Amino acid sequence: MSNDDFVARLQAAVARHIGAPGTIHDFRRLTGGANKTTYSFDADIGSQREPFILQVPAPAPPVDRNDPLAEYSVRITGDQDARLMIAAVKAGVPAPRVRAIFSEADGVDVGWVTERIEGETLMPRILREERYAKARPMMAAQCGEILAGIHKIDLAEVPFLKYLSAARQIESYRLTADILGLRLPALELTLRWAKENLPVNPRHTVVHGDYRAGNFIVGDDGIRCILDWEGAQSGDPMQDMGWLCVKTWRFGGRGPVGGFGRREDLFAAYEKAGGHRVDPLHVRFWEAFGSTRWAIASLRLGTRGIEEVDIERSTIGRRIEEPLWDFLSLVEGRD
Amino acid sequence: MPKSMPDATLLLKAAIKYLENELLPTLDGYHRFKTRVTANALNIVYREVTLRAAQEVAERKRLVDLLGHEGSVDELSTELCEKIRNGVFALDDQQMRDHVRQTLKDALEINNPKWLTR
Repeated sequence: MSNDDFVARLQAAVARHIGAPGTIHDFRRLTGGANKTTYSFDADIGSQREPFILQVPAPAPPVDRNDPLAEYSVRITGDQDARLMIAAVKAGVPAPRVRAIFSEADGVDVGWVTERIEGETLMPRILREERYAKARPMMAAQCGEILAGIHKIDLAEVPFLKYLSAARQIESYRLTADILGLRLPALELTLRWAKENLPVNPRHTVVHGDYRAGNFIVGDDGIRCILDWEGAQSGDPMQDMGWLCVKTWRFGGRGPVGGFGRREDLFAAYEKAGGHRVDPLHVRFWEAFGSTRWAIASLRLGTRGIEEVDIERSTIGRRIEEPLWDFLSLVEGRD
Repeated sequence: MPKSMPDATLLLKAAIKYLENELLPTLDGYHRFKTRVTANALNIVYREVTLRAAQEVAERKRLVDLLGHEGSVDELSTELCEKIRNGVFALDDQQMRDHVRQTLKDALEINNPKWLTR
C-alpha cells in the first residue's frame, strides 16, 4: 500500500473512531523496532487540529515449540499494549491516552492511536540541558509516585499479563548462556548470587517491565508520560524500582535514580503515594539482578548470526562486562 | 607466518585515523552515527590486538593458582564456571572474587575503558 493510500485509510479510520473530518497532516514514521512501528501525525477533529501517535505492533512470531526459551516469554501481543495503557490511565498513571484501537475492519493495520505528548525522551539532553534544570530535582520523587500508581493497576483488568518470578528469570538467563555457549565466570557469579538472594514472599502486581530513564517523556515541569509498555508482566513490583536504578540507565549522570535523583526521594514518594513500605535491600536485589538482565540482553543482541551482522548490534555484545562490573561494585558496596 | 610490515596494529591505526579525522567531519545523521560506531569497533580490535596477549598470560596464571592445576585459559575458565555454579567456591571467596574482578577489568580495558572511571 502506498503512503497516500495508507494516509487516506487512516483518515477514514480516525474520522470513524475519534471524529470527523480526520484530515491527516505531517504523517511520518518515528521509529521502527522489532516489536512495533511508531508514527506521528496531526488530524483535524471538528475544528481543532490534534497531535497523535499511531503504533502498529509487528505480528507475533509463531511459537517455536522447540525453543526452550519460549516458555519464559512474557511478550504481550495485538492490542494488549493499548488495553494496558487504558487500565494505567484509569489508575491515574500518566500513560499515553488511547483514543482508538484499530482492527482489520478499519482497513489499516491493527494498531492504536494515542494522544501525542510534547517533550524530550533523550536522556543526555535531559541530564545536561539548562531547560530541564528545574525538572531534574523533582524527577526521582515523580518516578516513585507514578510507580506506586502502576503497581495499583487492577490485575483483573489486564489478565493477559504473564507472571514471571525472579527464580524463573534466573532459569531463563541460565538457559540463554548455555544455549549460546558462553562461559563467563562473572556471569556465573551473578546468577548464583541471585539464586542465593531471592526476595522472600514478594507482592504480586502489574510490573511495567522497562521502567527506566529513556522511556519517560520529560518537559521543563518534569515527567509527563511513561512509555514502552510492551515489556509488561506481572510479578514482584520491586523489579521496576531496581531496574530504574541500574547504572546503565543513568546515562553517565551521578544520581543513582536514572542519573538524576536520589534513592531516598524515590522510596519516600513511593511510600507516600500508598505504594507500600520499601525495603532498600529488596530493591538492591533487583538493581543487581538488573545488571544480569542487561548483560544477557547484550549477549543476545551481540551474538546474532553473520547474516544479521550489523556494526551497532555487534558492538553491543562487547558491552556485557559493563553491567557485570557494576554488579560487583554494587554487591561489594562500592556504588 | 613470516612477519609482514607494517604490522596489523599500524594498519588499524591508519584506518581509524582516516575514519575519525577525515571522514567523520564530513558526515551527518545516519552515516555519521554508523561511522562513529565503526571507528569505535576498530578501536576495540586495536586494543585487543595490543593488550590481550599479556592479559591472557596473567589470567592463566591466576586461574592456575586458583584451581591448583595447569591448563589453557579456556579450559580453566570453563572449570571455574562449573565450580562457581555448583557451589564449590563460596560466593565471597576472596581469591575467586579478585580473579573475576581483574578479568572484567581486563575486558573493559579493551571494550570500553571509560566505564572503569565513571
